[in-house]
Amino acid sequence: MRGPLKLEVWKMGFVNYLDALKLQEKLVSDRKLCRIPDTLLSLQHPPTYTLGKRRTDHNLLIPASELKNIGAELHYTQRGGDITFHGPHQAILYPIISLREIGLGARNYVEKLESTMIELSSLYGVKACAGQKGETGVWVGERKIGAIGVRISHGITSHGLAFNIDPELKYFKHIVPCGITDKEVTSLRRETSTMLPSEEVIHEQLISCFARLFGYNTVVWKENPSILSDHEEIA
Amino acid sequence: MALRMWASSTANALKISCASKPYLSLSRCFSTVLDGLKYAESHEWVKHEGSVATIGITDHAQDHLGEVVFVELPEPGGSVSKGKGFGAVESVKATSDVNSPISGEIVEVNSKLSEAPGLINSSPYEEGWMIKVKPSSSSELESLMGSKEYTKFCEEEDASH
Repeated sequence: MRGPLKLEVWKMGFVNYLDALKLQEKLVSDRKLCRIPDTLLSLQHPPTYTLGKRRTDHNLLIPASELKNIGAELHYTQRGGDITFHGPHQAILYPIISLREIGLGARNYVEKLESTMIELSSLYGVKACAGQKGETGVWVGERKIGAIGVRISHGITSHGLAFNIDPELKYFKHIVPCGITDKEVTSLRRETSTMLPSEEVIHEQLISCFARLFGYNTVVWKENPSILSDHEEIA
Repeated sequence: MALRMWASSTANALKISCASKPYLSLSRCFSTVLDGLKYAESHEWVKHEGSVATIGITDHAQDHLGEVVFVELPEPGGSVSKGKGFGAVESVKATSDVNSPISGEIVEVNSKLSEAPGLINSSPYEEGWMIKVKPSSSSELESLMGSKEYTKFCEEEDASH
């Protein structure tokens, strides 16, 4: 059996997408060299559209030049998955963890990310489930409440999941979300009749679901971490 | 899923391996490991024939990835280094790097994978091959695992969690 597993959680508030990407690249490199434990970034982005490795920009329905007018950025990434939107009131988790140490393959890892969001939804009486084959993500009926896009490099993960607490859903109208036509996007606010607590509470619940599902015995919280870690610069 | 995991750990305990079929059935069990190939800990295989080595990912790897929907491969004429990534596969919204077990010059790339990425799942050792390389060092090939070693490696990896 494996030894005790430690997770270090960074609660980061709002982070610009590129800053988060650079930070992840540095943390992946540190994790690969075992300089840091499994790390989980918890954050939100300003309005941002992102594409995955397949660069499916045909799923962006407005010209890229118009994005500035609606107050959004566009970024190309190396993660799996299709086009998606990130924005305020959407809880994002970026786990930087060693899949080899935890004994998971890509498929099992993604299933656990789905379960994390399903469990959180159930706290509010929302019956969510994993997608059908080829539709990775978390759904409430035909409506998508959580998205996943992951990169695995030398067994270390980056990118992760995005859970819709109460984002501005109109932003999703400018894309074919995740490349899936004819399916709506939804949010926890829309799906539950329960009063929602503060978003900080929901973020903490999401983190707890993650930690429990992945079997972490020890969770260390890092409040207001700097993007630049102590004495180091992002190259 | 639960049945397959149970079957897999039972098989590992009994040290059995058998061919796996691409379509799920109750008889699907464990990953295939072929004799005569060499294996890396990151679950790639190498088939050395004459001056050319063919590289792909193992049945164990494709099973843990899920259905492959996209494969990124380098151009012929480029080079690969042992332990470094040369391409990636996407499955279940996850892109996973594929690393080369050996160093050398890329002489051919499997162009079928762009239209049919699922070949990696259905035929990981045959039609799902990824690149062919002219190895630059025979000692690198020697240092890779044989089929028995790799089978044991997979068993230990799966059993320890």
